[in-house]
Amino acid sequence: MKSLRSIVALGFGLATFAGTGVYLLAQDSSRPTFRVKVDMVVLGFTVTDSKGRYVNGLKPSDFRILEDGIVQKLNTFAEGNKPVMQVLDDGSMKPLNPGGDAEKAGPDVKSDAFVGTNVFVLFDTSNYMYRGFVYASDAIADFVRGLDRADSVAVYTFSRNLTRAADLTKDRNNAILGLRKAVAGDDAALYNGLLLTLRDAAKVPGRKVVIVFSNGPDNASMVAPDDVRAVAEDEGIPIYVISTAEASRDAISAGVFKRIATRTGGKAYFAKTWQKQVEAFESIREDLGNSYTVTYYPQTNPNDGFRKISVEIAGDIGKKYRVRARPGYRPSRGF
Amino acid sequence: MRLLLLLSIAGFVGITNAQDLATQVRNLEAKGSGAAARDLLAEAVRNAPTDPVSLSFYAEFLDRHGDPAAREAYAKLLGLLEKSGGDRKQTARRLVILDLLHGDRTAAATHLAAYRNVGGQDLGAAIPQAKPRTSGQEWTTIEIPGPLRSFNRMAALSPDLPSEEILPALARNVVTNGYQAANSSEGLEQTEFLKLVVRYLTQARELAKLAGDARKIQIDQCESAITGDLLKILGYRMRGACGAEVVLETVNASRAFLTIDSGFPLAELETALRSNRPFSYPFASTTVPILYTAEYWLGAKEKVQGEFIDAFLSDPQLCRLYLGVSKLDRETADKMKASIPVVRLKAFSHVLDFFGGMFYIRDGKAVVPGGPKAEAIWAELAGASPADPAAFFERLVAKDDGWLCSYFDSISRISGPVQEFLTQPARLRRYYGAVKGRLTSPGPARPVFRANTDLLLLTTRLRLDPDGSAHVPGNVEIWKNLFVKHPHGKYDGKLTKSAVGWKESDDVIEALFALSRKAVENEPLRIYMALSDMNRRRAKPLLPATVDRLAREYRTFGAQYPVLNETPRLTDETIQAYLDLLTAEASIRDQGVRADAAGTLQALVSFWQIFLRQGSIPEADADKVFNQITSPFGKVKNERDVFAAGLDGVKTLLAATKSRPDVSPQDRMLDLLAGFDDEMESEAHIALVQDLMKVFEAQRLVSLKAIIDLADHLDAIGKGGKVDPAIIARVSQRLADVQLPRAGLSGVEKNSLLFGYYAERHIENQRKLNLRAAIEKAAGNPERLSEIKGSLAPLLRDTLVGLNYAHYAPPGAQILYTNPIFVRSHDFLGMQGANQTWRHTEVVGTGWPASAGGRLVGSLVSLSYALAEAEQNFLIPSREQALIWGDLVPQMVQSAKVPRYWEVTPNQLHFTALHLRYADALLGEASLNESLRTRVIETLQQQAPPARARLVGRLLADGEISKALENVTPSEAFVLAMRLVGTEGLGDQDLAGEIRRLTKSAPESVNYAAISKLFGSPKPTLTNSYQPELLYLRTFPTLMGYSSRVMAESWESSALFYASVADALYMNPGQLNVVIPEWTRSTVERIFATHLEDWPALLRSLRQVGHDAVNKRTKVASAAGLE
Repeated sequence: MKSLRSIVALGFGLATFAGTGVYLLAQDSSRPTFRVKVDMVVLGFTVTDSKGRYVNGLKPSDFRILEDGIVQKLNTFAEGNKPVMQVLDDGSMKPLNPGGDAEKAGPDVKSDAFVGTNVFVLFDTSNYMYRGFVYASDAIADFVRGLDRADSVAVYTFSRNLTRAADLTKDRNNAILGLRKAVAGDDAALYNGLLLTLRDAAKVPGRKVVIVFSNGPDNASMVAPDDVRAVAEDEGIPIYVISTAEASRDAISAGVFKRIATRTGGKAYFAKTWQKQVEAFESIREDLGNSYTVTYYPQTNPNDGFRKISVEIAGDIGKKYRVRARPGYRPSRGF
Repeated sequence: MRLLLLLSIAGFVGITNAQDLATQVRNLEAKGSGAAARDLLAEAVRNAPTDPVSLSFYAEFLDRHGDPAAREAYAKLLGLLEKSGGDRKQTARRLVILDLLHGDRTAAATHLAAYRNVGGQDLGAAIPQAKPRTSGQEWTTIEIPGPLRSFNRMAALSPDLPSEEILPALARNVVTNGYQAANSSEGLEQTEFLKLVVRYLTQARELAKLAGDARKIQIDQCESAITGDLLKILGYRMRGACGAEVVLETVNASRAFLTIDSGFPLAELETALRSNRPFSYPFASTTVPILYTAEYWLGAKEKVQGEFIDAFLSDPQLCRLYLGVSKLDRETADKMKASIPVVRLKAFSHVLDFFGGMFYIRDGKAVVPGGPKAEAIWAELAGASPADPAAFFERLVAKDDGWLCSYFDSISRISGPVQEFLTQPARLRRYYGAVKGRLTSPGPARPVFRANTDLLLLTTRLRLDPDGSAHVPGNVEIWKNLFVKHPHGKYDGKLTKSAVGWKESDDVIEALFALSRKAVENEPLRIYMALSDMNRRRAKPLLPATVDRLAREYRTFGAQYPVLNETPRLTDETIQAYLDLLTAEASIRDQGVRADAAGTLQALVSFWQIFLRQGSIPEADADKVFNQITSPFGKVKNERDVFAAGLDGVKTLLAATKSRPDVSPQDRMLDLLAGFDDEMESEAHIALVQDLMKVFEAQRLVSLKAIIDLADHLDAIGKGGKVDPAIIARVSQRLADVQLPRAGLSGVEKNSLLFGYYAERHIENQRKLNLRAAIEKAAGNPERLSEIKGSLAPLLRDTLVGLNYAHYAPPGAQILYTNPIFVRSHDFLGMQGANQTWRHTEVVGTGWPASAGGRLVGSLVSLSYALAEAEQNFLIPSREQALIWGDLVPQMVQSAKVPRYWEVTPNQLHFTALHLRYADALLGEASLNESLRTRVIETLQQQAPPARARLVGRLLADGEISKALENVTPSEAFVLAMRLVGTEGLGDQDLAGEIRRLTKSAPESVNYAAISKLFGSPKPTLTNSYQPELLYLRTFPTLMGYSSRVMAESWESSALFYASVADALYMNPGQLNVVIPEWTRSTVERIFATHLEDWPALLRSLRQVGHDAVNKRTKVASAAGLE
């Protein structure tokens, strides 16, 4: 059985984000179970002032990132779509060489790991979207066209099942081509589709977001919204939701959307008209362009459960500003 | 054989070397080292490149394994033999067939000439000329506006459909999805689906007009006049001026929807406008083959407006007629067309559609089930003689609202002694009288799906006793009582009265036929099938008392009967005791204890089933072990009892599987579930253990060892031992990980539904369990410590249930990795009043964002299916608009997870694969040999419907072997080979000889019964058992009531096909355990089917997966971690 255990350990180690998983305690001594700690945490957040305007130009030294109250040492720092900088021990920064780690993308999805944002658009093509299907398609096409050049975008659609209409690409035409080939479906398994999108996004290194465009109702998902939210939270992937349904008409879905978005560091928009949808996309684009992204290797922390993240802004100015970030994560178990 | 010819011209030393080589190769193959055997032969060829013996041996070896390199090796061999003057007849012959199988007609012609040059005579003079399938006089064409691709998208048709299948598939979609009852009248109105198709046709005509005679939509530059016209038709407009800023946006949502949904290249148009480059899009009407002529079909309508396609879509009955006729054997259809006016035929289109598929004319007479001796009685029933086929079939479809035709169809689908039994004149008449009843309306073809499900099941599953009478479980008296005293209310008033006088088995079967026509739940038939299936494999049938009890308790415990049918070794006493036990469990008043007892017991029984299937528990011990694990639950009153019974069960199972006493129970259980191989060190075994552990970990379950250690430790503390915090912590830390269900249900909702209430309480209680404090508080008091042990019962239940979930986890297992309390949420009680503890496993709570996600409810008996059902929407179709079948997919996944392949020997794997290759060779040769073709098609017709068998015959006659193969399922091919391999001199003698040699080398293991068990699929609905087997059934149609589940169970091709792929990859059989689930997932994700019975779509997907696997052999092997 010796060889079995060594292979098991190796297998799970390789499944971790950065390939240096540590396997921890076993429930019993004879066969190791596997608990793998996350090696690098990617944290995106926005800072706004009292009037809700984005605050730009802050430096790493302006922040303190804490996990369960433990101060973290930043590894990289980026603002919007500006180049990623390596944070040195003295708090100064130098440009990062995008070799090495960028090669560790998943086998199916390619991306420049440290440049721009990897945007996954998840488009509801179920019966619930029948009336607004074409307008939604237009709005998404506009959004894709308006993305920053450094961003990559994937377009997925869902009905009962997920379809990868356009894989992650920097080529806007390819993404729109995929989008325009989407066909209308039947049942809606929104949270199943969102989960699978997150699983794909999790394979891509660097900053990523998922934007869900859905009318709201779900009549076919097997997974609960909050289980999906937990995956997004743990993987550090903000979810933005644009719902064409009015919140008052579907209180449950609206509540779920708000919770998912808030807890992952994203936002929920309820945009019934095409104009509102365009505005929502514009807002997301602004969010992406005005957010900060830091990475760090967590300090030793005995907590294998939910780790609370807080972002503090140093000095008095911090009191005037509001930070929007995911509240925490659970260390990955390597699935 | 070819080798022997070559050996005869080789010298003595050469013979010795060749024989050594042959022996070595055989030994390696028998050990499962096919790749090493191939390398050895390749090396021999490299060392002696001009030696025809080595090369021949190599080529034949590759050929037997379906290696694509075989053709090249044979071609080299032929060249070598030409130079050396050796006998090249057999080599050239084999090359002809392989060329045809690869669709290379040119090479086939060359090799055929070579074959004939050296005296080969049996393959015909030339390769037949390929002809379009619609080249016959019976085919004409119609026009459909716009490109076919767009029409297919709108009409939900697979783009892979052969052209002659387009109209039948369209007709089927119109019949099943195109119309609905109108709200305002008694008539029908078009569904949204059909409205969109009709609107699309209008748009397509407008576009065609724009395209003009050039049949091309051409925009030379953005500002041209045609741009505006085009965008108007498409429902779009330009935002921004021509140039880089231009964007297309919706202006008319209805039109824009059609534009997108039909796949118009809008993005390309936009790109062209932005860059001011020309846009060109061919836009021509599509010519589609139509059977006979449009005029013939339109003759069935009183008024015709528009083109044929408009008239077709507007008339569902016409569509049904076209569909029905297209399913007919062509000769039969021609005869009926010639004799019956289309208007009359249309009146019975629904009957023709469902039950005409088995009509067949041979030698000018209608072929009837039972053959010539049954012709008179069929003539009497129908009112026309089979000697006048058109008249006979006309009367058949018209009689009794379709009941006679349905009866004819059901009996036509079977063969052998049961068909003979049913077609004995008196019986045929008598049973039909029962089916027909007094009132024939509504007929079985009225609904959209067939309503003769029970009839089909009864005729398919009926079995005869050795004395030739129908098998009746128990005795007639029991069935009489069942109908007269009927424990749950009358089944049928008339039958209740007549049952009093029943004396013989025919009386019971007649009653079952009578009930088969009822649209309501036919419980007696279910009972009959379940008990008959239980008796099927038993050396001694169940005792009447057991049958009586099983029949009476079917409604409550019937779902559990497949457990009792897992092995024929369970005694009547054991079965009775188990039923006692299930009854006693229901009387446990505490709901939590009842759920824990049921869950623990079911998990243990499920292990017993798995270990039996995998051979870890010997069949001889099956009864004893079953008793040992179940009987302690008869005394359960509280959680302490549940825990003790559960722990005893685990220990019993470990002992029964010859586990070492010092082994970790958790490790051993994982090893056993992964499967038994000799060393448990194979990479396939390790991969399966990893998968089990991943699920176990994701579900935060407590290991068996940790639970048992803690229980032992509590005993030790009770005897004065010291508390060991580490042992307690191992369980406590795990429990701290357990989360509450993330649900948004209000208290009112919870209380009103009681949905999952006890499942949530079950989780909550575990979270509240403070072991350390409880143990300290117990202060060494044995009684209180014993209570703490009882509190471990829910944990033990979850661990045992979770291991079962892990064992049956479908590929991907997203739900198990994402919802960490999925196992713990299993609801063994169900909704209040539903009493689902012993019912089938069901998926509930999907599509309800307010809930904590879907969960499973009921017993564990159909866990494998329920998990597959829960997972199917996570599959990602590789092609847009692909249809994932609701029932087929779970059955396919279940069939990939329940059978395990640890006991398959390399020779059994090779034997199975050789059958498929031999069948391919037979079909290939049949293309060039008319008498063989007749024989092959006659044999094939015993499995495939007449129309398909005739199509295959025609394709073979045209030399279109690869297309013919697309119409033969692997299970049909296997049966074809099985039936013909025994005939000397038929087909490829190398392949046939190898099959015979393998059988002879190990007759006890290489035989059809063993292959059925090893490569069969579980069919719980059809056979009431999870034991895999091959039934060699005709593929079932979609059936009312069972939906497509029975149909899915009749698909037996997957494992047989995968076996041939694995053999071509020189895999060790154990690797099937890893690759079959993955291949199954790929197959499902690639299916692009048009309708529920679109088997060719599944077949295409299956072949594509196999093709890719063979072509990427290295990649597949390394991805699976197997090389």
